Amino acid sequence: MFLNLGFCFHKKKKCFFLDSQCYYVFTDFKKTEWHAVASWTWDAQDETCGICRMPFDGCCPDCKLPGDDCPLIWGACNHSFHLHCILKWVNSQTSQAHCPMCRREWQFKE
Amino acid sequence: MELLGSSSSSECNLGILETLSDDAIEEITESYSGLFTTVESLIAGDSSVVEEKELVSHVSTLCKYGLASLVRDHFLSSLQQAFDKGGASTFWLHFDNFRHNQHSDYGEEIHQALCGALEEISIEKQFLEKCLSTLVHALHSFEEQSSDSERVELFSRFQSMLSSTLMTTLPHHFPEILHWYFKEKLEELSAIMNNEDDDDDAQQLESDGMDLDDKLRSKNGEMDVDQGFSRHDDLVKNIGKVVRNLRSIGFTSMAENAYASAIFLLLKAKVHDLAGDDYRTSVLGSIKEWIQTVPLQFLNALLSYLGDSVRYGTTTTTPSGLTSPLASCPSPSFSKVVTPSEGIVRWKLRLEYFAYETLQDLRIAKLFEIIVDYPESSPAIEDLKQCLEYTGQHSKLVESFISSLKYRLLTAGASTNDILHQYVSTIKALRAIDPAGVFLEAVGEPIRDYLRGRKDTIKCIVTMLTDGSGGGGGNANGSGNPGDSLLEELMRDEESQENVGFDDDFHTDDKQAWINASRWEPDPVEADPLKGSLSQRKVDILGMLVDIIGSKEQLVNEYRVMLAEKLLNKTDYDIDTEIRTVELLKIHFGEASMQRCEIMLNDLIDSKRVNTNIKKASQTGTELGESELSVDILTSTILSTNFWPPIQDEPLVLPGPIDKLLSDYANRYHEIKTPRKLLWKKNLGTVKLELQFEDRAMEFTVSPTHAAIIMQFQEKKSWNSVDLAAATGIPIDVLNRRVNLWISKGVLRETRGRESNGNMYTLVESISDSGKNESEELLGGDEESERSIASVEDQLRKEMTIYEKFIMGMLTNFGSMALERIHNTLKMFCVADPSYDKSLQQLQSFLSGLVSEEKLEFRDGMYLLKK
Repeated sequence: MFLNLGFCFHKKKKCFFLDSQCYYVFTDFKKTEWHAVASWTWDAQDETCGICRMPFDGCCPDCKLPGDDCPLIWGACNHSFHLHCILKWVNSQTSQAHCPMCRREWQFKE
Repeated sequence: MELLGSSSSSECNLGILETLSDDAIEEITESYSGLFTTVESLIAGDSSVVEEKELVSHVSTLCKYGLASLVRDHFLSSLQQAFDKGGASTFWLHFDNFRHNQHSDYGEEIHQALCGALEEISIEKQFLEKCLSTLVHALHSFEEQSSDSERVELFSRFQSMLSSTLMTTLPHHFPEILHWYFKEKLEELSAIMNNEDDDDDAQQLESDGMDLDDKLRSKNGEMDVDQGFSRHDDLVKNIGKVVRNLRSIGFTSMAENAYASAIFLLLKAKVHDLAGDDYRTSVLGSIKEWIQTVPLQFLNALLSYLGDSVRYGTTTTTPSGLTSPLASCPSPSFSKVVTPSEGIVRWKLRLEYFAYETLQDLRIAKLFEIIVDYPESSPAIEDLKQCLEYTGQHSKLVESFISSLKYRLLTAGASTNDILHQYVSTIKALRAIDPAGVFLEAVGEPIRDYLRGRKDTIKCIVTMLTDGSGGGGGNANGSGNPGDSLLEELMRDEESQENVGFDDDFHTDDKQAWINASRWEPDPVEADPLKGSLSQRKVDILGMLVDIIGSKEQLVNEYRVMLAEKLLNKTDYDIDTEIRTVELLKIHFGEASMQRCEIMLNDLIDSKRVNTNIKKASQTGTELGESELSVDILTSTILSTNFWPPIQDEPLVLPGPIDKLLSDYANRYHEIKTPRKLLWKKNLGTVKLELQFEDRAMEFTVSPTHAAIIMQFQEKKSWNSVDLAAATGIPIDVLNRRVNLWISKGVLRETRGRESNGNMYTLVESISDSGKNESEELLGGDEESERSIASVEDQLRKEMTIYEKFIMGMLTNFGSMALERIHNTLKMFCVADPSYDKSLQQLQSFLSGLVSEEKLEFRDGMYLLKK
């Protein structure tokens, strides 16, 4: 049916998709500029920090900028907190610190 | 008869009559009749020395019998009769010609008539005075001791008699004639002065030495100095003569009124002439200069010419009054050196006040236009400020400006943008006039009230804030671009705001408080005590704009939405202007409220960095496969969703290669920023693509949704909407709307669906059969307004739906409730997690939404459940 058009792209140009097919309209992806939008999120099980109750994707109460400036940290027990929050917690403990969630000894995950 | 006369003159001593002998009576009668005849002949003007002696003897006889007052009365009444018959009537006769005519046609004639008549009447008066002095002389010869006081009294009686005679016969048109006369003369004078100024300038250009010579010579009183001077002097002398003659016949105040009104008329014409409709130059200076050169020169010359006779009361026309006019009339170049007399100073103040008032009225009437082209018209504003300082008629300004605002601006026809621009210009202009902001308060009130009633006010304000920095924007070439000025305003306030601090002055310590207290000044008297004191009044423009909206939070929120929209549409990460705007807004609204905007900007900066990192990493990676796309075509904006306004998510299935590219990109991101990962918002972003057809190639910049749709047509020439929706993952109703873009561009064609599968979309393969696409251009335009960011209203609606149940429950329990009560109840009970923090207006708009959805009913100010 399309042969009736008397014109076929893949006779002239290399086709990117399927060699055996012709196109009615052709988009050259090399000339395309695609600006996409995404959101980032921490790959954590929880939504909010167990210490400050703020969302992980936000930042701890002391920080202004989320993301790299206020990172998450995982403990050996696989619980995650804002780095600043857990550091504060660990430093406030006189003896060995425990995970605020499961009371196991706190150790940073390697 | 004479007894009657004598009794009237000494009525308190009737007894004296009995002591009179027959001889004495005869003597009195004789003298009395003698007096009659001599007085008559004296006044008729044909008296001889003998008759004068006779008069003296008659007078002394009568005086001997204590009838001096009788003599005086008789003499005066005969003088009056003579004056009535002769002087007064002939005097007025001179002006009969001008009774019904346009005086302006008779320039020189009026002058002639007036001068002649005055000359004549003063001669007449002089003559009568001479007669009077003869009598005084006679009286003196009898009683030596009677001093000047009697003479003064007689002359003043004569004077008042004279002027009352004239006044009673005054024709209606005489003051008018005087007015025209002075007007004409002043105009003449003003013209001479103008020429003279020009001459002076020319001379000064030629040689300064000559000028000095001139001055020296004119100081010596020589007449040949300059033609202009002599003409000027002559003119003033003439006018002076007229004025003096008028004064001598008792028309002092009338003459003054006439020349004052002529001067004011001239001044008014001058002010109107100078001020006109040009607001770009300051005219006050030149008006003052003109006052100094023309009317004051004139008055100065006139008053000093009149010399002693300036003092009102008895006026003498003795030759001594005619002291050399040149000596007492300084030439214009010296008038500045001469210390001005009190009269001149008073005149100067009067004239200046009048000039200020005239200019002020003129400017106030045109204030609206002046403010429309404000930055250019600032000289006019400056003039007006000075005038108002002098006259203090600010209330006039407020009234007239408010009424013109209501008439011309606050109408349905004016766009919100225009109103805001005018408001901003008004603030600026009035701030220049009145730094305290009292009148601004009054004028701004109606505008603010009106703007509050408009829905798009916030949007317009925010656009004004952001667009000014647009730079490359289409409206950047407009000279009076108000967006620009608003941004400038932000910058201008940058320094001044720093020490003032933010709206809530929590941080003012005692020292600051003390400084503030010592800087306190009382409000101007015009201030409305109900509107709060000076300290609470905001004169900064942004503050006043925020005032319209109600709270800065709303403004910041709206700005955030607009900023998000802008940032999402950026593909080049170029956000310099936005950063600047946010920085400026931070100064105004405080760091805390702009926090989220800052994070949004930061996201863009981070995105740019991440983007280059990922591309670098991928270049070192493996070779591209056959069907794989280079990562180079992909850029991304990575958001911290929590800090952005809610983003409308639409499902979308992207074409395979693109989808693969995106997931590769996300993987790389995950590798670089390990515990973080990307979640694509596939429907957002911008796609620049080139479509190649059988006979043409077209470039488009569209949204990913549109791109996904058109890419489906690569393999299939036509789709029905149901299948297309399934392939792209877009809900069918949305799809039908989106496709309109391609239809309007002439890429697709729609055919009404015959079956249940909906419409058919067919690719237009060549231009030849894409005939009718222009007509559907409108649909495309409609499409453009689709926003990816939920608008503030939508957000509000979403947030408020939580409370819908509360409200419903409340209304079931209480029956009906007023808005206020619902608001308070919500505040009281909704303290838990999403605590109720909406304003009364927000609640009201939500409730009216519920009413329109027919869930509630609104009756008599009460909300109740719809049955």
